[in-house]
Amino acid sequence: MIEVVNLRKSYRRRNVLNGVSFTAEKGQITCLIGINGAGKSTVLRAIMGLTQVNSGTVHIDGRPMSRELYEKVSFIPDRLTMPLGMKMEEAMQFMADFYRSWNPARAKELIQFFQLNGNEKIGHLSKGTAAKFNLAIGLAQDSEYVLMDEPFSGIDMFSREQIADVFSSDLLDGRGVLLTTHEIAEMEHLIDKAVIMNNGTISREFDCEQIRSDEGKSIVDVMREVYLA
Amino acid sequence: MSHYLKLVHMEIHRFRYPLAAMMGLTLVWQMVTLIIHVNGKLDRAADALIHNLLVNGAALERFSFADMIPGMLYSLPILACIAALSVYVFLIWYRDWYGRVSFIYRLLMLPASRKHVYLAKLTAIVLLVLGMLSFQLLLLPVEQWVFKLIVPAEHFEASTFGDVVSANLVLDVLLPRNFDRFALSYLLGIAAVIVIFTAILLERSYRLAGILYAVGYASICTFVFLYTMYLMWTGSYLYPEEIIAIEFAIGILITAVSIWLGFRLLKKKITV
Amino acid sequence: MKNGEVWEEVAFNNRDPVYLQVVRHFKERIVTGRLGPGQVIPSRRDLGAMLKINPNTAQRAYKEMEELRLIVTEGNSPSRITSDGKILRSIRSELLGEAVDRFVSTAKIIDVPMNELLELVKAKYLEEIENRPNELQEGNQS
Repeated sequence: MIEVVNLRKSYRRRNVLNGVSFTAEKGQITCLIGINGAGKSTVLRAIMGLTQVNSGTVHIDGRPMSRELYEKVSFIPDRLTMPLGMKMEEAMQFMADFYRSWNPARAKELIQFFQLNGNEKIGHLSKGTAAKFNLAIGLAQDSEYVLMDEPFSGIDMFSREQIADVFSSDLLDGRGVLLTTHEIAEMEHLIDKAVIMNNGTISREFDCEQIRSDEGKSIVDVMREVYLA
Repeated sequence: MSHYLKLVHMEIHRFRYPLAAMMGLTLVWQMVTLIIHVNGKLDRAADALIHNLLVNGAALERFSFADMIPGMLYSLPILACIAALSVYVFLIWYRDWYGRVSFIYRLLMLPASRKHVYLAKLTAIVLLVLGMLSFQLLLLPVEQWVFKLIVPAEHFEASTFGDVVSANLVLDVLLPRNFDRFALSYLLGIAAVIVIFTAILLERSYRLAGILYAVGYASICTFVFLYTMYLMWTGSYLYPEEIIAIEFAIGILITAVSIWLGFRLLKKKITV
Repeated sequence: MKNGEVWEEVAFNNRDPVYLQVVRHFKERIVTGRLGPGQVIPSRRDLGAMLKINPNTAQRAYKEMEELRLIVTEGNSPSRITSDGKILRSIRSELLGEAVDRFVSTAKIIDVPMNELLELVKAKYLEEIENRPNELQEGNQS
């Protein structure tokens, strides 16, 4: 379980995070929802140790983030993380060199799933293909948790469909997924838990099917309640 | 350890085109200037010969390779490379943040200790500098051989390696005569790079305020080093060797503190 | 595809629990004869991929269907639709009952005498048999 407790961060006199607490279970797909600029990306980066917070803690299965945990937790940010001059297969070799948890068989499977051409240079990829490649290197690790920052943002429709298919496939088998998005429409029926962020804190945290049976509401309905209140 | 080596390889590999360009530029430029210079000299020698024959009787002018290389034109590519590598001391970090790719994300998320990232970049700079230095050293005998090829025997005069190096100001500074001076200068250079690296990390950790911290830190280190040297040279009871030893110790201290600070910043304070 | 069946994507609405919608989809398939008694169904994972839903949802749907005894799983073999005639008939009546409820409540709004209504239903039914004989025959078998 990823456990985030009371994260606070202010940047240039603005409270970006104002006490953010929530959990993301293993084997479930948890979605952190918020409008643009709400601080969702900051939360993910804080979990991964890529940015600092003023106070609060993050624990992964009871342990604080450390460099060994990078084998168990993979992060797929909304930008490219491999040099433009590298070919995709060179980038994967780089990952294989450093991560013991790298799974070459699954890497191959993912390349086929997304129909990528390993010989292409990363600098020549279209936005949609780059996003798929990012996803591929993040998922090819045998990580127990996968964090994704806006996996659908600014991507063409067909690539989006392919990416959405990842969530219903066995590529995420048993892993805990935490993703952020502001476009919930295509994801509604795919996520287990929704965490709605507003004004730097968590307004609602709920199981999606539960809300549907108890209150007959969709996630979008709850979002309306939160944001238009 | 292997993580460190892989990172060093990666840093050098990603610089291979600029490195090839620097070597290529130096080779071509120096060869061309040499050939042009020699031909010019031969032409003038021919004219002088005729003049001397008519006036005083024959006297053949002889010149050596060492005579060919003083002057800014020959050293220009060396200076350009020094400038390029100095800029790269900064770029080697900043390139990972800016541009279409945030490679820094990947570097910070590697299961390797972040110390290795720092040390790999430092090693890369040192290797690049030594590499270019070695390249220039290798070029000298090659250029000398070309010189021998194009100069007719009657004008040719041999020159020693020492003559060649001391003939050009830039070469003389880059390749000091005794090993102690060599070691000292280059160790000082490495220390400077380390201080700059830590300053860069200060800026990357604290952003706006970080610029002030960075400049401040670099200034303090420089000041401490130079001021203590000044204090000791002027009006003190110490022998020169003792002064150098103390300066050396201070240099080591500044270097150690910088490395420690750099590691800490990378581990706990850095932000993408 | 398994079973020679094509599990086309189902459009899910976002206000009812997805797993219940999956269960309902199975019930509809059973009643329309596309899933026969004892027929093998795809594994949870495969179903998830085919319907493009979260594997957890598929899991929950299967669990619900097992509780309703709609499907049976013996040991490690793949799950199958129940062969129990009683259960299959009860699903049929359930769905039929719902369809009738819907029809009646809609038709009630239009003020029509019952005889005329029944005549209209009969006529429409006969028309359908003519146009699509195969579908209805299968349904008549259970």
